[in-house]
Amino acid sequence: MVFKKKELLTFQSSIFNLQNYWGKHGCIILQPYDMEVGAGTFHPATTLRSLGPKSWKAAYVQPSRRPSDGRYGENPNRLQHYYQFQTIIKPSPDNIKKLFLNSLSAIGIDHKIHDIRFIEDDWESPTLGAAGLGWEIWCDGMEIAQFTYFQQMAGFQCNPISVEITYGLERICMFTQKKKNVFDLIWNSDGITYKEIFYESEKEFSKYNFDLANTKSLFVTFDILEKEAKDLLDNNLALPAYDQCLKASHVFNILDARGAISIAQRSDYISKIRDMVKGVGELWLKGNN
Amino acid sequence: MSEFLLELFSEEMPPNLQISARNDLLNILKNFFENENINYDKNNLALSTPNRLIIYFKNVQKEVIKISKNIRGPSTNSSEEALKGFLISNKIAKNKIYKKKLDNGEYYFFNTPKKKIKTKFLLEEKIPDLLSKIKWKKSMRWGSYELYWGRPLKSIMAIYDGNTLGFNYYHLKSSNKTVVDKDFEEKTKVIKDFKSYKKFFSKERIIIDQNERKKFIEKNLINSSKSKNYKLFIKNKLIDDVTNILDRPKIILCSFDKKFLKMPKELIVTTIEYHQKYFLVYDQSSKLTNMFYVVADCNDNKGLIKKGNENVIEARLSDAEYFWNINKSKNMIKQVSLLQNVNYFKGLGSYLDKVQRLKKICGFLSDEFLISKEKVEIASTLSKVDLLSELVNEFPELQGILGGYFAEAQGFDKEICDSIKDQYLPLGADSRIPKNIYSITLSLADKIDTLVGFFGVNITTSSSKDPYGLRRLTLGLIKIIIHNNKNIKLNELINFNCQVYESQSIKFDNKVILDKLSNFILERLKYFMKDKEIRQDIIETSLININLNNLHVIYTKAYKLNKIINKEVGKDLIKNYKRAYNLINSDLNKIEYETLSSVDPALFKNDYEKNLYKKLHDIRKNFYNIKIENDYDAQLMLLASIKQDINIFFENVIVNDNDESIKKNRLLLLKFLCKTFDNYLSFAKIENIK
Repeated sequence: MVFKKKELLTFQSSIFNLQNYWGKHGCIILQPYDMEVGAGTFHPATTLRSLGPKSWKAAYVQPSRRPSDGRYGENPNRLQHYYQFQTIIKPSPDNIKKLFLNSLSAIGIDHKIHDIRFIEDDWESPTLGAAGLGWEIWCDGMEIAQFTYFQQMAGFQCNPISVEITYGLERICMFTQKKKNVFDLIWNSDGITYKEIFYESEKEFSKYNFDLANTKSLFVTFDILEKEAKDLLDNNLALPAYDQCLKASHVFNILDARGAISIAQRSDYISKIRDMVKGVGELWLKGNN
Repeated sequence: MSEFLLELFSEEMPPNLQISARNDLLNILKNFFENENINYDKNNLALSTPNRLIIYFKNVQKEVIKISKNIRGPSTNSSEEALKGFLISNKIAKNKIYKKKLDNGEYYFFNTPKKKIKTKFLLEEKIPDLLSKIKWKKSMRWGSYELYWGRPLKSIMAIYDGNTLGFNYYHLKSSNKTVVDKDFEEKTKVIKDFKSYKKFFSKERIIIDQNERKKFIEKNLINSSKSKNYKLFIKNKLIDDVTNILDRPKIILCSFDKKFLKMPKELIVTTIEYHQKYFLVYDQSSKLTNMFYVVADCNDNKGLIKKGNENVIEARLSDAEYFWNINKSKNMIKQVSLLQNVNYFKGLGSYLDKVQRLKKICGFLSDEFLISKEKVEIASTLSKVDLLSELVNEFPELQGILGGYFAEAQGFDKEICDSIKDQYLPLGADSRIPKNIYSITLSLADKIDTLVGFFGVNITTSSSKDPYGLRRLTLGLIKIIIHNNKNIKLNELINFNCQVYESQSIKFDNKVILDKLSNFILERLKYFMKDKEIRQDIIETSLININLNNLHVIYTKAYKLNKIINKEVGKDLIKNYKRAYNLINSDLNKIEYETLSSVDPALFKNDYEKNLYKKLHDIRKNFYNIKIENDYDAQLMLLASIKQDINIFFENVIVNDNDESIKKNRLLLLKFLCKTFDNYLSFAKIENIK
């Protein structure tokens, strides 16, 4: 956990340090959810576990896909695929700010010599039917993390309240490694760069997301997934139904990136996903009260 | 010295919640003291930092005498249960009550004893309730606690007269300790009074008083920039925001690469001032420089904070630059057809439909204004293309402005580019108002089309809600018309707009829309006039029989009259008018003016009548004289010039002549006078001078 000065904190060691840190503080260290999701919040370890009365502490890395944010690998700050590190604790502990600030020290950010700010950022996810109050965390003017107290999830009031901390790993490493381009990040101690691992994939997926994704079949896919989710809910299977929501949500995101969804349609699709998630939440709560 | 000091320590409270909570809590406590008849020094304080809400009262009366009150209980006929309930809820023994007959029956009564209560006890008992009275615009729960607060409340310090006020509030217990470090929330310190509290924090370089904090930041910014020969334009909103997101301000001068100054300056201003809340620096000729001030919340001993903030700006500006370079070179004309994929509003078609309408409306206006039809048509066609750009997606607040810059980069006429930039103006109270005729044209067309469309699909406003900003938009419309001295034929414009909608198979009832919109615009005009401090009676009278085509004339007449109404000339004007008006409207003189022919000069018996009549004729002739047609000051002066003739008339002529026909003729002469005045506006509704 002690960060030696002058030693470069690689991307992967930043992940190890966060896992170690939160592991020591009682979080179970999970692995990423094996599906395309837009943020760590979509992992059922956050969405579903934040519902109901049972305590829960977990942390994990989550690859996050945001098709619209792709830039064909040409922009130094934008990616359609990036990594979030997510910590979720229910109920939120009283000393969470201290825990958080110490976790920053573990990844090379000493809060005593940097200007760390908690800037209002109330979070809402219309697709998840979720809302929370909290902050984006600024370090010397840069947003490095989100800190949110969930108030509502899948349309249901949370009780007790979970706290979610989402670290933007690329942003943080660009800060600690002093890089201006995300592709210059050092992944491991052999000096493998982010570019070597992800540049090609950024290029190809941008091409797919923006130019080639077959919108016709994706619209059909969405409908199939929606129906599947309903069938599964009818059979009282919350988790498989939730998977369908995640898939549908990703299909929606690609369609959106393709510019295939008009403003009017947009809210329609979002409410379709929200309804599915609500059904899942209801079912989950029945089994976990 | 019995002082009361309350500190509520929480995780970081957003500025707006901080401000409303501190004001709210201060008022709640003032009301409490007043209701309990507790005297206190009027110099009280409500202070805040992101983590602390602080309330301070001086010289709070130590004891309060509760006078005996008698409390009525249940009727003596009611059940045992009711009596029991009364005794329990008031915590009284049965032998303390008595019966008393009232008009409507007999009741149990109880006299509360007269007693002295220590303010300390009263506060300890009541503070929890008072805290719960704070109205949060947004509040939250955390952990497993039941309490709702703006952000997690961690500790309560409550001190009265040097001692702890002990009470519980939900899971928290009050103490005389403040939390020293806002990061770990672990170190605490015992506080005795406000003086030592303030001293302690000032030693820590924490400024707990938001006003002092603001002044400190302002002073440091100004001094530093002056010493380096720079200029600052500090926006109030920005410095208020900055003041309320830190408690240990420290200014740091930073810079960015000069190459970014080649981009539209709005991109830099938005990035640096709005997104990052830093202060931009200008040179002596008010030109934007590549310098900016960051206000940090701590010292920057190693220069890390400066470097970090500079990197953030660098990244953000290069992001903007990346999009700017791509977007500005994308052929705008070729993109217009893509607007059909962007929905404008349900029932009102796509943005392509919208620009096609704007094109026609602008064409219509160009005929009116005698300006180049070609230019306004190009401007309106290009006006929404920027909505397709990544840059507007990143900087939605710059829509329009960026479109103008794109057009500039592609070599369009300056008037076209400027009108695209100005199309959404004016946006707020202090916003610039379009002055150039091409800008006026596009801005008016956009606003009218929005209003007609939204009213057409029945989206209007309610007393508290205006989700689409229609009030602001209408006020903008009024400002453009009035500030530019333009008489716009709004009626015709609205009707034409309806036809344009119809040509797109979007059908509205013209008459209904015109009717509803007239009322809506009228309401905003009233608001606008009130804002300009025009007297209520002048506003009311000027809006009788309002014609949307004359908004500018209506306003100007009211404004000019308002300016002189309290001066001698204005008072005379009203007095003379009222004298004539009251005579012709008094019951004694009720005649059917309409059925009678006009004044008959043959019936005049003296020169006073003749003079007045002649003078009125002169006035009427001059009133519409070309030179003063739009000079409302001159019109008022002209009306005022009749003063002497009227005075002489009333001094020497008795209107109520015995001869009925002469009397009627004289009344008709006065009616003629009133009608002459009413050419300006109906003076009848103007209140008499006190």
